[in-house]
Amino acid sequence: MLSNSIWRFRLSIIPGSLISFLLLLLAFGIFYTLFLNSGFENFSSVLITSRVQGLIKFTLFQAFLSTLLSVFIGTLLAWSLAHQNSFRGRDFLIALLSSSLVLPTLIVVFGIITILGNNGWINRSLLYLFNFSFENSIYGLGGILVAHVYLNASFAARSLLHIFESIPKERYKLAKSLNFSTYRRFALIEFPAIKLSLKSISSTIFLLCFTSFAIVLTLGGSPSYNTLEVAIYEAVRLDFDIPLALKLALIQLSITMFLVFLSSNFNIGISNIKTSSNQIPWKEPKKLQFFQLIVISIFTILFILPLISIFVDGFGANFIKILSDKLFLKSLITSLVIATFSSIFTVVFALLISDARRNFNINYRVKKTKLSSFINILISFSGNIYLAIPSLILGLGFFLLSQKFQAPLLLWSLGAILCANILMSLPFALSIIYPTMQKVALRYDKLSFSLNLNGSKRWLYCEWPYLKSSVAYVFALSFCLSLGDLGVVALFGSNEITTLPWYLYQLMGSYQTKDSAGVALILLVLTLSVFIFLPKVFKNVANR
Amino acid sequence: MLQIDNLKYTYDKTLYDFSLHVKENEIVGVTGESGSGKSTLLDLIAGFLPPLGGSIIFKNRDINKLDAEKRPLTILFQKYNTFEHLTVLKNVLLGITTSLKPKASEIIKAKEILNEVGLKEFEDKLASTLSGGQSQRVALARSLLRDKPILLLDEPFTGLDFETRIKMLNLVKKISKKRGLCTIMVTHELNDCKLIADRVYKVIDGKLVCKD
Repeated sequence: MLSNSIWRFRLSIIPGSLISFLLLLLAFGIFYTLFLNSGFENFSSVLITSRVQGLIKFTLFQAFLSTLLSVFIGTLLAWSLAHQNSFRGRDFLIALLSSSLVLPTLIVVFGIITILGNNGWINRSLLYLFNFSFENSIYGLGGILVAHVYLNASFAARSLLHIFESIPKERYKLAKSLNFSTYRRFALIEFPAIKLSLKSISSTIFLLCFTSFAIVLTLGGSPSYNTLEVAIYEAVRLDFDIPLALKLALIQLSITMFLVFLSSNFNIGISNIKTSSNQIPWKEPKKLQFFQLIVISIFTILFILPLISIFVDGFGANFIKILSDKLFLKSLITSLVIATFSSIFTVVFALLISDARRNFNINYRVKKTKLSSFINILISFSGNIYLAIPSLILGLGFFLLSQKFQAPLLLWSLGAILCANILMSLPFALSIIYPTMQKVALRYDKLSFSLNLNGSKRWLYCEWPYLKSSVAYVFALSFCLSLGDLGVVALFGSNEITTLPWYLYQLMGSYQTKDSAGVALILLVLTLSVFIFLPKVFKNVANR
Repeated sequence: MLQIDNLKYTYDKTLYDFSLHVKENEIVGVTGESGSGKSTLLDLIAGFLPPLGGSIIFKNRDINKLDAEKRPLTILFQKYNTFEHLTVLKNVLLGITTSLKPKASEIIKAKEILNEVGLKEFEDKLASTLSGGQSQRVALARSLLRDKPILLLDEPFTGLDFETRIKMLNLVKKISKKRGLCTIMVTHELNDCKLIADRVYKVIDGKLVCKD
């Protein structure tokens, strides 16, 4: 009986491996297409131009600074939240931190400009109160860093808070009885617990900032603050210099591939697990409590202000005008349809890939050999391709393929957007679904052998009850990420092919401030509603 | 003498009211069903939970008002007693100093204790490489190095194999008697209590009931 079951397990490797293979094939196809079209013989001449060197340096520099600041602030906030367990609004703040992952970048940019822009809330208040305003523009490195830190520090804090709260309470009790100082407590208990995650969170943030597009495009301001990703976009859309775009894409691809391989044990490190309600058995000294509350307060204010500004400015918009605009309706419907399909595909892909992968990490299912370890690495890597091939490069690849195979551009562009959105959500989806599937296998494999639970019965009794909340969360997450993405659509965007973020970007670019505030509000409400309510609706339906 | 009188605490609609006297050189065992409040008793004595009332007197001094780290006691948990990324010696040294550069005299003391618990050859090994029984020995060594007159054991040997558990229980008994400690051991294994405890109590409805 055991050997039959083992074979059944081994067969479950096939669907997930097939998807991984197709994803890797797609990555290779894109790389090969770019390589063939880039004019390899002139490649080195492009590399040594001072502009390209400047682009590489600035891209690395801003990503490094953004990562450093995000991880530092995120850790400080998570540490403060872990030790301040009982203030009012804590759950709300944590929910907001979780939502930062799905906030459309354009919304964040919009909010930051409203607060920190030349004509923003802070400058207007200073002018009114003290007849003084800051001359510094939000556009440039400062703006890029603020937006990156806004999004990524919250992501880091949310991920790390879960780890801080997972530290066994016995450790704190032991440290307390050994009379550890706050510093020793951090050095001996907390830092060792977060160390591994810090590494993976840092590498994730670095890659996200390295390939950041919408933020640099809107807040970069001048060519001296361009990153490789934005330079590729400008080469395609503004200068129509496809050969240069291809060469830049190849350079970026080489660097990101190298970085993804470097951070081999990559893990996004998020979960939908609720944080612990158990208090850490350590009463902080009053001064430290005060410091932690100050950290939390400052971050809360800075985090909430841009969101409030979107509500305040958005309410002043003419919604009748916006809602009667055909282009808006077209953008909205396209966004919703693409988000629905990409979420369905993401969930299915994540389930199948996780199902295949868990076989390689459970000894009695597949024996550990060099070959099985290699396949395991390939399957893991296939789920994280997006970090190596950002959406703009993917779009460029699809653009070239569309020219080669002469299919309608509309079809190719929709395919590219859908593909990019699935790849973008997949690393997050896998980091949520895989650990649960692995746990279920370890817990129920032997029981399901003995009860002869196979196929759909095993799924119904063993897998689904534990996976349903993760599936709902992944669906909502993927839906929101897709809804707010301004990546591939920036290459293909036109009146024919339009999504809500592209429509908003067009409005912002043509200085239609009131309309863009209204659209930003609609996008924000839509995203937050889906993120908060969709898992609940899903759960209720699943429980019937 | 450790005198615990009407130590009150409430959790999940249960009112706990503990009274217990432990003499020097005495080992008291406390058993009870899961969730009966055995560990709560130790958390209250150790100062990890604030009691609603009552007193904990040791040598005519109410230690109930002292912070956890200032109480004259040391505690051993079931899990997470060691820092896996530190060596055995450093783990033990944490009992007397948190300094990165301990004094020569402190190192000698730690080595003596490691010898006493039978881990002399393991001092340079990382705690992560030890077995369950060895980890608990390290924790016990550290507790002894702290030289506190009260020893609290919170299911310290649950999960160990039978032979190791018996060895560890005998080791605790030997050391506890040799040093004249007031020892309270919480466990759900009545046999463990019978093996080393002078008196055994059971937690029933939030109160300690003597089984002897």
